[in-house]
This record gives sequence, structure tokens and C-alpha cells, in this order.
Amino acid sequence: MEVEQEKPSLENVQARQQEKQREGEVVIVEEEEEQQQQVEEGEENANVLQFMDSMDAYLTLIHSLSSTLRQGWLELASARHSMGASRVNTVLLDHKFHPAATTLLVTQDEGKVDSMKQHFTLCKWASSGNEKCSLGEAKSGQDKLHPQLRHRASSQLYEEKTSSEYKASHEVDDQVQKERSKSLSVFGTLVSPKLRAAQLSFETALETLVEIANTRSAVLCAFDKVNKKLGGSKG
Amino acid sequence: MYGFEAMTFNIHGGYLEAIVRGHRAGLLTAADYNNLCQCETLDDIKMHLSATEYGPYLQNEPSPLHTTTIVEKCTLKLVDEYKHMLCQATEPLSTFLEYITYGHMIDNVVLIVTGTLHERDVQELLEKCHPLGMFDSIATLAVAQNMRELYRLVLVDTPLAPYFSECITSEDLDDMNIEIMRNTLYKAYLEDFYKFCQKLGGATAEIMSDLLAFEADRRAVNITINSIGTELTRDDRRKLYSNFGLLYPYGHEELAVCEDIDQVVRAVMEKYPPYQSIFSKLSYGESQMLDKAFYEEEVKRLCLAFEQQFHYGVFFAYMRLREQEIRNLMWISECVAQNQKSRVHDSVVFIF
Repeated sequence: MEVEQEKPSLENVQARQQEKQREGEVVIVEEEEEQQQQVEEGEENANVLQFMDSMDAYLTLIHSLSSTLRQGWLELASARHSMGASRVNTVLLDHKFHPAATTLLVTQDEGKVDSMKQHFTLCKWASSGNEKCSLGEAKSGQDKLHPQLRHRASSQLYEEKTSSEYKASHEVDDQVQKERSKSLSVFGTLVSPKLRAAQLSFETALETLVEIANTRSAVLCAFDKVNKKLGGSKG
Repeated sequence: MYGFEAMTFNIHGGYLEAIVRGHRAGLLTAADYNNLCQCETLDDIKMHLSATEYGPYLQNEPSPLHTTTIVEKCTLKLVDEYKHMLCQATEPLSTFLEYITYGHMIDNVVLIVTGTLHERDVQELLEKCHPLGMFDSIATLAVAQNMRELYRLVLVDTPLAPYFSECITSEDLDDMNIEIMRNTLYKAYLEDFYKFCQKLGGATAEIMSDLLAFEADRRAVNITINSIGTELTRDDRRKLYSNFGLLYPYGHEELAVCEDIDQVVRAVMEKYPPYQSIFSKLSYGESQMLDKAFYEEEVKRLCLAFEQQFHYGVFFAYMRLREQEIRNLMWISECVAQNQKSRVHDSVVFIF
């Protein structure tokens, strides 16, 4: 009698254990699904945030370009007023063949198969051979030198390197100034400071245009990601 | 009184002096400028100008207007008035009137030569020349390769021939040489005009000496400012300054070595009492307003020329005041066209 009573209890226990195991597995699966859902939601939110951020940057740059161009055109009118219409005139622009003072490098983002993101880099004063690419790249080049410069063992080496760095940057600045004057020489070599200011404004506008192109590329890329997620969730 | 001009001037110059004083009365007033500064479009400007002496010149211009069209038509009015006075004038007034246009002639020569260097079409260049500076053989300038050819082929038969003695070289024409040629010609022209006025004597000599000396000084300052940071050497810079004027010779020596606009140019100019008033209006860093300050001073001196009778200075003063008026109209039109009306008063110089 006692043996018969023990057998059902063992089976019951096993059954209960199996049930609990199954329940535990379901809970684990549910937890895993919940975590995955959270991760996916997080990714979606990040994509949307990235899209909104890049859109905000794009609109800010458009506004900045508009004000820079307005300033440039007014400075050009002011230079024409100061120097006279015969000195600041479209008929003085050079029709001879000459290399472009500034070039644009377009690259595709590598490593991502489905990515169509393009990157634009402005190379100013490329005709001189001393290409001055976008400011960020020049600065990162200088930063690479700093870890060496902080070595205190040789202060003379440090001084030599800083003075050579200073000379190099001074030479680059002089070269850039010469290229600017060369571009402006179509209007004469003794031009008003207002015309030089107009040149700087249009130069800044060109840099802003390239930034806008890069930002637009980022906006389109972020928009694609958001669109894909929305399409996936609907399907 | 300087001489006996009152007794003899009106025989040959009375009619034209009356004409030019009548023209002076037609210059735009402060009320006209206030109306123009409030215009929203270039058509509004055309409408306001239709009530002035510019009306007949602008009435047939179709919309949309361009700022260069307004300037061209207003210049046409000045040219018509000048030609009428020139054809009525006898010597020495006719020579005096011709001297007034030699500056535009120099600008046209440099425009054609520079445009040809840049491989531009000659017809296109001729359309952009100032009408007061045109002469018969101007189109032939396009064939010259260097200054010697420029002189030999074209300019030897023009009034600019005597001014070329300091520029004749066999060097090819490039941007720097052309700039030096422009300034050397203008320097020679100013000095020649000054000597001519001195020869005329009397009130003409006195009034024109003051006006031309101011012009020479202003040019010296502008050459200094524009050459800072360029390849023009100090010696070359000094050679471009005229040999007369308040700044000659000690001011020129100091200007020749200037390397900074605000500190050094100001320090040079403030030593001369007539120019202290110009620089007192500018605060530090406002070198961009220097042009306006010079124009205001010039307009003041030109208006004073009309306070005296029986001299030729009124003709020079009238031409310059009209040119200032056209500059004002150009600036107002540009500000309206670019929707920058808040900047209109940066460069407008009221004449009355």
C-alpha cells in the first residue's frame, strides 16, 4: 500500500519538475524576446535621433550659407562702389585656360555593402601643388605630432620642432595668401580691402557648401535606415 | 578777389558758368535720397527718379531693371551735359573740360589692355568703357603686346601720350605692370592738370589746387592701403605718389613704409590738421568707412567751389558731384536689389 502511494508521488514530482522546466523555458524565451524588442526599439530610436540631429545640422548650415553669401555679395558691391565699375567688372574675368584653384574629392564609404553614403572633401588652392584640404584633416595632422612634442627628455628637440612647425604653418599661410592674391589679380594687384573681404566670404561659403553636401549625405543615410526599420516592422 | 576775372570772365565763360550752375540746382537733395532709400524694388527707384532730371533717360527702360542699367542711363545724362558744355566752350575752358575726362580715358585704356590679356572679346570690352573716356583709336589697344607697342601704335596720338614717358618699357604686359602703368599714368595726369591750372592763375588756380591736392592725397592713402600685404615694394609704392599735395613730401615718406592700416596710416594722417577731422569720425577698426569719410570731405570742398564766381573750378566740381550722385544711386540700387536696406547709409553721401 505504501509502495503504491510512493509511485504516484514520484511521477507527480517528475511531472511537476518537467512543467516547471517548461515554464522556466517559456519565461526565458519571453525575457529574451522582450530584451530583443527593447534593443530593436533602442536602435530605432537611435536612428530617428540621428536623422533628426543631421536634419537640424543641415538646416543650420543652410541658414549659415545664406547669411555668408548675402555678406559676400554686399562686400562685392561695396568694393565696386569703392574701386569703380571699370575695375570690378565681369569683362575682366580670365578666359585663358588655367587650372582650377580649388577641387572637390568625392569618395564612397567603404565596408558597408548597402551603404550609398558619399563623402566630399574640399582641396583649396590645388593649382599651386600645395594642396590645403579641409581644416579638420590639417588639424588632425598637427595633432599626430603632439605626442612626440610632449617628450621632456629633449627640450631643444621640442623647441626645434615647435619653431619648424611654426615656420611650416607660416609658409603655408604665406602660400595661401599668395594664391588668394593671384585669384584676385584679375581685378588688378592693388585692390581694395573690401574686395579681399568679399573673397574670404565666398571662400567660407564654398566650405559651408561642402559641409552641407556631407550633412545631406548623412541625412539621406539616416533616413534610409529609419525607412528600412519602418518597412520591416510593417511586414 | 584774385585778379580782374569779374571784368572779362563773362565774355567767354559767362554762359557756360550759368549753365553749370543751373545743372547744379538739379542735383538730388536729401529728401530725394530719403525717398529712394525707402524703395522696395528697382522699379520703385525708377518711379522716384522719373520725377527728377533722370526721368527721360529711364522712362523707356523695361522691367525688370538691373542696377547697371540705372547707372548707365544716369551716366548718359552726365555725358550729354558734358558734351553740350564742351561744344560751347572756347579756349582755355575747352582744354580744361577735356582734362576732366583724362582720368576716365586712363581707366578705359587699362580696361581694354587687361581684358585683352584675359582673352576677352574687344566689342564686349568697348561696351563697358566709360563714355567720357572714349577716343577714336581705342579699339586698336587690343593688338599691343607691351607698353612700347601700346604707345607707338595707339597712344602717341592721344592726350595721354605725354604721360607715357615714365612707363615705356619693352616688358610684356602682366597684371602687376598694368597696375603700375595705371597709377603712373594717373600720377602724371594729375601733375599735368595741376600745372595747367596754376598757369591759368587767379581763382581757378587757387580753387583747383586745393581740389587736386586733396585728390592726390586721397590717392596716396588708397595706394598705401591697397598695397599692404602685396608684392609692391616700398620704393615702387613711393614712386606712385604724386609730387604735390599736403602729404608731399614728408607724409609720403611715412606712408611708403606703412604696413598696417589702423595704427600707422592713422598715425601719419592725424599729423595733418585738415585730415584729422576725417580720422576723428572713424573709431579703431573702422577702416572700411574710410572711403565714405573721404567722399564726404571731397563733397564739402566741391560744394564750396560754387561759393565763388568767375572760375573754372565750378565745372570740375559739378562733374565730380554728379559722379558722386551716380555712385550714391548705384549703392542704393544694390542695397534694394539685395534686400539689404539697413546698409544703405554705409556709403551714401548727401550732397545738400
